[in-house]
Amino acid sequence: MRLNFTVNGRATAVDDVWEGESLLYVLRERAGLPGAKNACEQGECGSCTVYLDGSPVCACLVAAGQAEGREVRTVEGLGGPGRLDPLQEAFVECGAVQCGFCTPGLLVQAHDLLERVTHPSDAEIREALAGNLCRCTGYEKILDAVRLAAERKAAAR
Amino acid sequence: MRPFVYERAEEARSAVAAVADRPDAMYLGGGTNLVDLMRLGVAEPARLVDVSRLPYDTVGVRPDGALRIGAAVRNSDLAAHPAVRRAHPLLAQALLAGASGQVRNMATVGGNLLQRTRCAYFQDITKPCNKRNPGSGCPAREGDHRNLAIIGHSEACVATHPSDMAVALAALDAVVHLEGRDGPRTLPLTELYRLPGDDPRRDTVLDPADLITEVTVPALSFGGRSHYRKVRDRASFAFAVVSVAAALDVAGGVVRDCRIAFGAIAPVPWRARRAEEALRGAPATEDAFAAAARAELGQARPLRDNAFKVPLARNLLVRTLTELVVA
Amino acid sequence: MTGIDTRAAEGARSAQGIGQSAPRPDGVLKVTGEFAYSSDLWLDDMVWGATLRSPHPSALIRSIDVGPALAMPGVLAVLTHEDVPGDPFYGLERRHQPVLAVDRVRYQGEPVALVAADHPERARRAAAAIVVDYEVTEAVTDARRAAFDPACPRVHEEGNVLRHQPVRTGSVFEAPVVVSGEYEVGMQDQAFLGPESGLAVPAEDGGVDLYIATQWLHVDRDQIAPCLGLPAEKVRLTLAGVGGAFGAREDLSMQVHACMLALRTGRPVKIVYGREESFFGHVHRHPARMRYEHGATRDGRLVYVKAEILLDGGAYCSSSPAVVGNAASLGVGPYEVGNVAVDAYGVYTNNPPCGAMRGFGAVQACFAYESQMDLLAEACGLSPVEIRRRNAVSQGSHLITGQLIDAPAPLADMLTELESFPLPATTGTGSDLRDLPGGVSQTTRGEGVRRGVGYGVGIKNICFSEGFDDYSTARVRVEATPDGPHALVHTAAAEVGQGLVTVQAQIARTELAELGVEEVTLVPADTSVGSAGSSSASRQSYMTGGAVKTACEAVRERFRELAAGHPGLSPAELVERFGPLEETREYRHRPTRPMDPLTGQGDSHTQLALCVHRAVVDVDVELGLVKVVELAAVQDVGRVLNLLALEGQIHGGSAQGLGLALMEEVQVVDGRVRNPSFTDYLIPTILDMPPMRMSILENADPAAPYGLRGAGEPPTLSSTPAIAAAVRAATGRPLPRVPIRPQDIALP
Repeated sequence: MRLNFTVNGRATAVDDVWEGESLLYVLRERAGLPGAKNACEQGECGSCTVYLDGSPVCACLVAAGQAEGREVRTVEGLGGPGRLDPLQEAFVECGAVQCGFCTPGLLVQAHDLLERVTHPSDAEIREALAGNLCRCTGYEKILDAVRLAAERKAAAR
Repeated sequence: MRPFVYERAEEARSAVAAVADRPDAMYLGGGTNLVDLMRLGVAEPARLVDVSRLPYDTVGVRPDGALRIGAAVRNSDLAAHPAVRRAHPLLAQALLAGASGQVRNMATVGGNLLQRTRCAYFQDITKPCNKRNPGSGCPAREGDHRNLAIIGHSEACVATHPSDMAVALAALDAVVHLEGRDGPRTLPLTELYRLPGDDPRRDTVLDPADLITEVTVPALSFGGRSHYRKVRDRASFAFAVVSVAAALDVAGGVVRDCRIAFGAIAPVPWRARRAEEALRGAPATEDAFAAAARAELGQARPLRDNAFKVPLARNLLVRTLTELVVA
Repeated sequence: MTGIDTRAAEGARSAQGIGQSAPRPDGVLKVTGEFAYSSDLWLDDMVWGATLRSPHPSALIRSIDVGPALAMPGVLAVLTHEDVPGDPFYGLERRHQPVLAVDRVRYQGEPVALVAADHPERARRAAAAIVVDYEVTEAVTDARRAAFDPACPRVHEEGNVLRHQPVRTGSVFEAPVVVSGEYEVGMQDQAFLGPESGLAVPAEDGGVDLYIATQWLHVDRDQIAPCLGLPAEKVRLTLAGVGGAFGAREDLSMQVHACMLALRTGRPVKIVYGREESFFGHVHRHPARMRYEHGATRDGRLVYVKAEILLDGGAYCSSSPAVVGNAASLGVGPYEVGNVAVDAYGVYTNNPPCGAMRGFGAVQACFAYESQMDLLAEACGLSPVEIRRRNAVSQGSHLITGQLIDAPAPLADMLTELESFPLPATTGTGSDLRDLPGGVSQTTRGEGVRRGVGYGVGIKNICFSEGFDDYSTARVRVEATPDGPHALVHTAAAEVGQGLVTVQAQIARTELAELGVEEVTLVPADTSVGSAGSSSASRQSYMTGGAVKTACEAVRERFRELAAGHPGLSPAELVERFGPLEETREYRHRPTRPMDPLTGQGDSHTQLALCVHRAVVDVDVELGLVKVVELAAVQDVGRVLNLLALEGQIHGGSAQGLGLALMEEVQVVDGRVRNPSFTDYLIPTILDMPPMRMSILENADPAAPYGLRGAGEPPTLSSTPAIAAAVRAATGRPLPRVPIRPQDIALP
């Protein structure tokens, strides 16, 4: 089937999509956007988190057809080299990235948190990120990064 | 995954017609459970009828105070709804305890009610399972059943129902609105689910073409004094080991009325009517709460490795009710 | 593929030498989604591979019919053991693991056949269509029976005990105070997030290029090439982005399979495991059953330790012998004791194969000996800290293997510092309910909650042990650029997330500062340079760090000769006129010796590292819920190369120890894995991991580069027993097994 949707602000049409493919597969293998990662295929780890019509979802659980006509924003759409989002900067600076496989999903989920809450408490950060597994960092540096990005974003407002 | 046809329903009648004609067609809501089951080969629909964009996506309050919840409402939107948080906090708590933010942003009310069990044997198509493959046997009885049922199960099946939201709705006397082959009808939520008995294949009494369109929750004067409490194996995002939904009406130290349901101890969201009966008119004390728990859990028939759920369910109920007295 | 330009890190300051918290050179690529992990690789004419695996833990194969799979549309090839071009077996320590099952399967999930197809789903469906006729045989699933019952069937011809390592010293096995216990550690999974994956590309010379996420490129190549019937130089490996490792990528998974399919089809072949397949695709941490007896004087000084450590290695050898060696040699912990009888066994069963995981062998023993130290403290009326301090090793002590601890080992001081950290405030009524056991489920408002505090101490060998000829290779080249001298660093060392790329660049900047080098580019790790050894055993900062340092020094030596001969020239002019300057060096640590097979005696270890943890927990004793309120750690790392990365290692290692203490276990029933998914195999979330307090000591090891001490593994050892001890303190229960789950502590 043919799938029409908007990715990172660009209208996109993808052909030859098999109905059983997930939005994650379409993004990674057909739309050239491998940023969202496939780590559990069950919505348990959050590595595939993307915005779908403005809400973060696990792209591995979205059947391709369900994305028809909708807006998707991936980690690639948050910012690129030279124009990083403050959250991306903070992840690098604070040591929140080790192997980095969980990072794209965490960035989208944390980005959504900071869009909704200007000064999140630690408890709010933890609750918001509870669906994103990280195996390397023990999460401490991730908390540091989200706190730092929140400060910088608030200061820039 | 078996090949299938995907189509998006534009309105309820055509959706019902699309499924009614074909025995191996299924509705698709948020997909958080069904897409996973298809990948595992547990569900093998030949046709998926996507009902997630049908116009059942609003929450409202009827003049009589009852809550109307569209079947396509996302779990996150329902949990955040002011009327839910005010009048039925146990429902909001159950939804928030149910999954991560990302999953709540996808999962629908209708789909949540129809989740399939997390029993490891049901999920693994290389193993026998009477629910998935009738007559093949139930290895869980002798095998791994640490987190399976202690009550309401049968020789044929010891699976539990995985939903948190459904437990809260069972306590609240919710009513399920359906569109079926013969038009619309309603069903109390507690009658939606069926015990496994000799035929664990179906979790509910629904016909495959029945489409959940709405859930209504009648007004409950003491709904504001309610909690959903969940014990799980880690701090977040894990299925319940035991959960309790409870609402309590206390006056002068006496229980006037209450609503209680347990999760993760039975094949269905377990409305604890014996406990409720024992509590009405009883003093609002820990002893009475423990007696009510015994009245309900006295029926329990735990398996080799899950007897701990009996005291755990009791402790959780006593804890939850005691808190509601204080609240 | 291009090198990682360390300038790419935005905000990176120049002159980021060792000791600075330099940002990761690959950080920007990782936060923008551009970093290419092995599962992200893509070529135009690429096809997909899939693996058919055994559903049985033990069975004979009567026949395999690939016909139905071959007949399916989009299928390019279906291969079985008959199609393995060369040696049908591979293995890290024993070459006995079949590339594809030959006439029998020994564990559930063993690869039986392969498919290549034009879509991953078609490949999976075709694999499912292959018909295998199995004759199910008795599965050996009890490690004790496998080891000690002569009537038990043999998993391999050699017998079921793959290694028995005794340690014997002293002869006094009586004491006034005796405590004993039996302990169990469940099977833990590394649970890296990036599943096994890679891309094999057939080459014009009949060879193959493999882009792969692994921990050790050269030992992969040396296993793959014989299986393909190719000389080593025709099998070229390049490291693709690695999504975590923790030991699980030490053994081969899909490497030979992808190469076989690529050579057969003439097309690039990509294989990516899903999460379920990943649970079957790599080894796990050995589950252990341990019996300990400690004898001490009344004032708590150890007299003797007897121990039996039984490690279930599963169906194939993997690195089990090394795991047994670690468990035996470190089996009593960092304590002075003169009389020892330790027996460690590695055993074959039809359970999933077990091998390397962070702390391998030392983790299991640590849980048991630390549990014993707490029992002893109670029996002697001492505090948990005091009993450990009284028996602590220090520089000049000997291990039970007779090896002298010749570097600083200030364990007693570490414990004193740990104990001096302030305790976190009591969480009680009125605090954020999310901080109580049950977390966001808000199961309590403080009722039934009891606080517990526990301590854990661990000792880990750093680098490879027991006489292994271990080395790493680095090639360093300094060349002129318009911006001044620029360094290229080329090693085959696997960056698996730990930050080795950062440290390599920091070392090069430090050592080449007088050449005017500020910019360092890391050439992608591949097999065109000599082996770097494995990214395991906490060894890469030591070994590849040492190799880069040595190669830089050689370049610097040449530069100094040039500078002496041309006193008027600036460094940049010297490099421009006489460059490029390139040197390749191999670095070796001091030699080690095998353990004596009867007594375990011998200087078997290169370096030893200590970490101590204090855990503070709140336990809801009515509901069986544990909240770790705080973890505190003191670790001696010899020398800090990059504080940010080091703290990340201690956090991450402690979190994996927390997982083992409270939730993580691959549940195996009758040889079958019951929970191969992240829904059912739980690892800690951000809500489970508490804030950490830590102190890092720098008592240099004179034998090591910069005096550093490997740091990745030690925190994983000590956090598990510390948490278990804290839960015991809160509940009064013996809790002899990890993970501890709600049913173990909920009051009836």
